[in-house]
Amino acid sequence: MSRDTADGPSGGAGLDPELQQSVILTKVEWVKDWGRRHALWPMAFGLACCAMEMMATAATKYDLDRFGAGVFRASPRQSDLMIVAGTLSHKMAPRLRRLYEQMPDPKYVIAMGACVVGGGPYSRFGYHVVQGVDLIVPVDVYLPGCPPRPEALIDAIRKLQFRIEERGGATLGAPAAAGRRASA
Amino acid sequence: MSEPKDKTPPAPPRPDVGEPDPVTARALALLERRAPGAVLAHEPGGRHPWLRVGADRLREAARLLRDDPDLALDCCHLISGVDWPETGEMEVLYHLVSYARRPDAAYRRRPLKNDPFVCLRVRVPRDAPEVPTVMDLWTGADWHERETYDLLGIRFTGRKELHRILLPEDWPGHPLRKDWEYPADYHGVPIIPPEGL
Repeated sequence: MSRDTADGPSGGAGLDPELQQSVILTKVEWVKDWGRRHALWPMAFGLACCAMEMMATAATKYDLDRFGAGVFRASPRQSDLMIVAGTLSHKMAPRLRRLYEQMPDPKYVIAMGACVVGGGPYSRFGYHVVQGVDLIVPVDVYLPGCPPRPEALIDAIRKLQFRIEERGGATLGAPAAAGRRASA
Repeated sequence: MSEPKDKTPPAPPRPDVGEPDPVTARALALLERRAPGAVLAHEPGGRHPWLRVGADRLREAARLLRDDPDLALDCCHLISGVDWPETGEMEVLYHLVSYARRPDAAYRRRPLKNDPFVCLRVRVPRDAPEVPTVMDLWTGADWHERETYDLLGIRFTGRKELHRILLPEDWPGHPLRKDWEYPADYHGVPIIPPEGL
């Protein structure tokens, strides 16, 4: 947790030592990102069985609130993290895209489970399953597993928080990989 | 499921046919008595006994089985479809069970033998797969018929409008048909066909 304390970018080397002990010099952007990564509001949005693990992660035993990401919102307009948990069918894909577009910037996406990472068990014969949610929306963290355990989801959220710290709070993620499978 | 071979008494019973199923035997006797000629073929026993009727007499047979006080097949448990491109046919299977006649204690002890269960099968030509609906006999058949239409394109006639139930309304074709071609994409999202088929 030491990297999350408000030590911020170093600065003020030439200042009065007394002043350095009582004043923190940092950037407003850094403080905003610090707030962002510790107040990720996920959208309550489950597609299939991975949502069970997502719910378990938010419940008392795994207590996602310890990491500031437990405030599941029922509306995309109040959320900044979309955990795509479960199998994404072609019928659902336009709805998912619309929900993503309704989220305010900056917004983040975790692809949870084998199905949304790359089709999973449906990758060969599942005509109805989108072969990876990155064909629909940009993805920040890929979380494989069928389904991933709650510890793994917590790890994915921590990784996302570190990414926000390293790269700033703008909407991350690669652009939707429209040609990802064309070469494969 | 293979056709039953010649079952003359001296021949040893096929292991997969086994003992004749008493419920199917009763249903067969009922249909022979009340609707002569409706049953085209049947398999009397084994793991999955069945009776085949013609599409034109399906509703008659289904109503007899449902209304018979002895059988009381009051639940259409499942409707499933099969594509048979070799014979140019489509098949619909109706799995009928009875809640009124279910011997609960015995059911738990020996589920396969004592469950009052009858399977009706209907074969229709593949180029015009039309089967009369049984939705007015068992209301629950609605969603099963819609699913069979959605995935296999078998049309059920005489019912309310037939819509897809699982796939999007503008989905190309019926994907459980053996000759269904994978489209390249659906609204710009690529569909990856299976490799090595």
